[in-house]
Amino acid sequence: MNVQFKKGVLELCVLVLLDKQDRYGYELVQKISDQIEISEGSVYPLLRRLTKEEYFTTYLQESTEGPPRKYYKLTDKGRDYLQELLTEWNEFSKGVNQLIEEGVSQ
Amino acid sequence: MNKEQFLKQLNDSLKKLSLEERQDILQDYEEYFAIGMEQGKTDQEISTSLGNPKQISRELLATYHLGQVEQSTSAGNVMRAVWAVIGLGFFNLVIVLGPFIALIGVVIAGWASAIAFILAPVFALLNLMVSSFQLFDLFFALALCGIGIFMAMGMFVATRALTKGFIRYLKFNASLVKGGLKK
Repeated sequence: MNVQFKKGVLELCVLVLLDKQDRYGYELVQKISDQIEISEGSVYPLLRRLTKEEYFTTYLQESTEGPPRKYYKLTDKGRDYLQELLTEWNEFSKGVNQLIEEGVSQ
Repeated sequence: MNKEQFLKQLNDSLKKLSLEERQDILQDYEEYFAIGMEQGKTDQEISTSLGNPKQISRELLATYHLGQVEQSTSAGNVMRAVWAVIGLGFFNLVIVLGPFIALIGVVIAGWASAIAFILAPVFALLNLMVSSFQLFDLFFALALCGIGIFMAMGMFVATRALTKGFIRYLKFNASLVKGGLKK
């Protein structure tokens, strides 16, 4: 699938994953790449940008094994943004599905 | 590519960023390698799945330069942001560079005519020295000078507005290239 297209969806995926609980980078990347084929390195630039735009904050937490992990936490601003993206996404996918249905049934 | 090579390439292509920011970025990727290796992956596998460090750094740099240009809109910052956004993909070469050159053309042309008009009396005086005195020439030059001053004032406002608008366009473009669900 088109790389640029995927990147846009990536932003939505990250926000959705952080809605219910805080997660660390590796976890986020794995969760996404389980479902969609992405180049995993591109998630971090996205995380940095969204952090700069104050959609989430980060904190370090020790882990039992290995180095401390950087966790990402959704802010209120991020939550609003997620709702906005979700609405857009639903409209968008509804439209595309509609077109596909019409196209395939003919 | 192993972990060291990956991190070195990434570090090398992020030289423009501050040491602090670069370390922060590298730390993210080191953490990623560390956890991946705990899960039993080799560092070769991990760096393959991460993708090309050059492409990663392009995205980071574009974000950085766009941030810079928002803090201060110096000519240098605008240029760097333009190049960084172009660097995101060939697609942008046309979409960003075209309007940029056109805008610069408009701004330069506007300023050049404003300045030429303002200097009209000087030319009229120079003309006096070489040819006969004509009152009409002098009045005409003074009128041009006045128009020139108004044009310069207009250009001052226009240049600022155009720069601002173009930066917004750059940001829109960067988010479009990054995938652009965002309006």
